[in-house]
Amino acid sequence: MSARAVETGSEEETIALGREIGRSLGRRAVVLLTGELGAGKTTLAKGIIQGLGAASADDVTSPTFTLIHEFGGDTKVYHIDLYRIERLSEALSLGLEELLDRDAVVLVEWGERFPALWPASRVEVRLAARDDETRIVTVTGA
Amino acid sequence: MVGGARRILSSVVASQLDTHAKYGGVVPELASREHLRAIVPVVAEALAQAGCGYSGLGAVAVTSGPGLVGSLLVGLTFAKALSFAHNLPLIAVNHIEGHIHAVMLEAESTGRPVEFPALALVVSGGHTHLFEVREGPHYRLLGKTRDDAAGEAFDKVAKLLGFGYPGGPVIDRLAPHGDPHAVRFTLARMKGNPLDFSFSGLKTAVLRWTQQRDLTAEIEARRALLRSNPRPSAEDWLAVTPPATLGLLASFQRTVIEELLRRASVCAGQIAARSLLVSGGVACNSGLRAAARALPLACPVHFPSPGLSTDNAAMIAAAAFGKLERGELSDYALMARANLPLA
Repeated sequence: MSARAVETGSEEETIALGREIGRSLGRRAVVLLTGELGAGKTTLAKGIIQGLGAASADDVTSPTFTLIHEFGGDTKVYHIDLYRIERLSEALSLGLEELLDRDAVVLVEWGERFPALWPASRVEVRLAARDDETRIVTVTGA
Repeated sequence: MVGGARRILSSVVASQLDTHAKYGGVVPELASREHLRAIVPVVAEALAQAGCGYSGLGAVAVTSGPGLVGSLLVGLTFAKALSFAHNLPLIAVNHIEGHIHAVMLEAESTGRPVEFPALALVVSGGHTHLFEVREGPHYRLLGKTRDDAAGEAFDKVAKLLGFGYPGGPVIDRLAPHGDPHAVRFTLARMKGNPLDFSFSGLKTAVLRWTQQRDLTAEIEARRALLRSNPRPSAEDWLAVTPPATLGLLASFQRTVIEELLRRASVCAGQIAARSLLVSGGVACNSGLRAAARALPLACPVHFPSPGLSTDNAAMIAAAAFGKLERGELSDYALMARANLPLA
């Protein structure tokens, strides 16, 4: 699987990279966004969702508390955050399997803790903070 | 249940907070399975406490969004069945509108009704919004968070430092013991709407602060405290929290409050607000209450009592009262809308 690493120097650049990733996705995709707290997962999701034409970047906020945010019309996007989920049974009770069956783009933060949930054909984006502004973004499977 | 004179007859909340604390942030309250388990006993208890049966009801109010569709559907299906079986009007309410009406209901019952236009600051784990509220009621969104909600920032900072879940109450209790100016956070200036909020940068700044120090021992001491005692007292926490960390907590809380109130003050001036309403779980924060009351505003500030600050059904019934009077009823085609906007 090919991987490419990109360095972004600001929040705006991370969003711009997200737009590029979003435009490259089909109507149906699973994207795992990984990286520690504050790495920029939601920031990248803003760009991806904007790139898919499903919402403006400012309207994409953290789904940590609400767990699932829905966007879009023609292209449906589900933005999921499993930060507060500790057990696989809880993740399953959210109805994730059903969402994964739909014609939709599913973006998942903190999804790497439940590898059994995701299809083999997926995009993985790893974010790492180099300093306050700079992020290393590694995309696999796109 | 909310009754004739807009008085709360009963308010029952099926909170799984104990389960949460045990697992360090589990979220069964948002899972439809848990809703399904809780809804019948909770409704029965609300009726019992109000001393009335289904025949004593005048209407059924239900949240149609925003929220998790699976959980909303449990409430909607139950409310529709109740409405159909007992021939009661069905009223759809927006969750955020409920938070605003929690304050209006209590203000009215204490003889200090909310005057319009009002500015509503709804601030919780999932929401951070500023709305203009005019008679009608009509709502206009003035500002919102672009990333993390304020309550989420409290929870994530607390978890990061080993204080468990939920984070708001612990930080609020410990903040008075620290120097609120110990840590200066430089927050990035935002482009776009200057009335929008951002708490993600603050959360990341706290993370960096912790990474620049070796806090392993004190964090482990706090986790051990939580394992031995799920409800530590302020003294218990103080014994395992050095002054530097107390300063961080105090500075963090001060910064969140300043961010919230600075924008609220600007909005209140812009719309010539005659009242400021603060609602949502973070409205329980004593630092926020004190700072809001000390604002040099030309209007009174209203907070709900703690029980009505966090999510509850009484606020949904309160918001439904006006709709019932205006005949804004729903039919059985009412759907759950995950991202239902208020304005």
